[in-house]
Amino acid sequence: MMPVWVTGIGVIAPHGDHPETMFASLMRGESAVRPVFPELPKPAAAALVAFDESAWFTKLQLAGVDRVSQLAVAAADRAMKDAGAGAAADPERIGIYVGCGMGGAAALDHAYRAGGRVPPLTIPAFMPNAPAAHVAMRQAARGPVLTYSVACASSAVALAEAAKAVQRGEVDLVIAGGSEALIVPGVMLAWQAMQTLASFAPGEAAAACRPFATDRSGFVLGEGAAFMVLEGASRARGRGAKAYAELAGWGISCDATHLTKPDAAGQQRALRQALRGAGLAPADVGYCNAHGTATKLGDIVESEALAGIWGDDLDALRVSSTKALHGHLLGAAGALEAVVSVLALHQRRLPPNAHCRAIDPACRLNLVRETGVPAPALQAAISSSFAFGGTNSALVFKRV
Amino acid sequence: MSSLKALQDLIHEKYGIDPSTLDPHASIRAAGIDSLALVEYLFEVEDRFGISVPEEHSGIDTLAELAAVVDNARASQTA
Repeated sequence: MMPVWVTGIGVIAPHGDHPETMFASLMRGESAVRPVFPELPKPAAAALVAFDESAWFTKLQLAGVDRVSQLAVAAADRAMKDAGAGAAADPERIGIYVGCGMGGAAALDHAYRAGGRVPPLTIPAFMPNAPAAHVAMRQAARGPVLTYSVACASSAVALAEAAKAVQRGEVDLVIAGGSEALIVPGVMLAWQAMQTLASFAPGEAAAACRPFATDRSGFVLGEGAAFMVLEGASRARGRGAKAYAELAGWGISCDATHLTKPDAAGQQRALRQALRGAGLAPADVGYCNAHGTATKLGDIVESEALAGIWGDDLDALRVSSTKALHGHLLGAAGALEAVVSVLALHQRRLPPNAHCRAIDPACRLNLVRETGVPAPALQAAISSSFAFGGTNSALVFKRV
Repeated sequence: MSSLKALQDLIHEKYGIDPSTLDPHASIRAAGIDSLALVEYLFEVEDRFGISVPEEHSGIDTLAELAAVVDNARASQTA
């Protein structure tokens, strides 16, 4: 089977729009989470992106383009530029694979507030496949342009499906990742009602999300977009491309038990499948970027799933959930965390599992507790994303 | 007084189209504002001038035509 290489990375993330500086911030344990919407009855926090849309769009181009699509276009373009001019392919041989959970939340919010004058472009701005379509137009990609809406697993699934298409030779190049931008008051209220968001005292928003800690109380929302360029190894080698890593294995499974309650057995099916696809034993994988949403039940179930697969090798697996720092990007989480995993592997440094002063005894993982941890022998990393709806995904990356 | 200048300013503000590049007698759609975006522009025109553009004018395609309609609507309001 043809190896699939990551040859370009682009992010528009809460920690900035350069992958290396974003990773450096994560390595220092800097939280991008801030209080938002002081007008809401309950305190709210989120990790927002500083984004200047005028750098990417003319005013005319912005008509009917929601923020979720703007972030996607910018991140995908950065990924392509990072891949280099030689990456260009026959337009019909380029695929766009995008994960998006909700679509254009701001467009809906605006329509509701418009006082009866609903902008006629609300629907095309809102539709969840708009980000992929806008990326396709910007990159003149005329092959498969697809959207995966699988809640928190959306963009991990998009990356897996994109890698399959490259491996099967259906396309020469894919731009794959995800985008999410739903930090508007109505959506925030809905998430608060779901009882999964972290509570926090005034002034402590930045450390509200504490994965695997005894005092964890849930996650915080984030927004942003992250994309990778994937190519077959022979094409990438032929054009002298740099390779960050090989996307070596992927696993997708469904619990088929409950819409929102996680299930260790289901997660294990995805993890096992991803390891098998990569041809690796658990002990070969030195780092796990965990799903780690810091919910009471979720972190315990994920710990059980990892313990079941890694067994006696669990202590050799270093684990962190970087959601503590960049928030939960939902449909874009899988892609952003895959990027973090790839950079950890590429730089052989592990980002911390921040804000965990005391680890929950029920989560017996070898967490990366400190900042600036080196991993000189790291050969492979795994990134997990487990979704409402029961779909589990895992991506395994190997050093090239 | 013709509303043309105000309409040109508004289209510049909203879509970044400079008045010097859009002939008042040329097609607005051909300048890249598709039919749905044009409806959004007309909403803005209505709000800005406090008028209502009658339904039968929805086929308007040039700024000159639109200016005439807006001028009429404003005149009938003040009359």
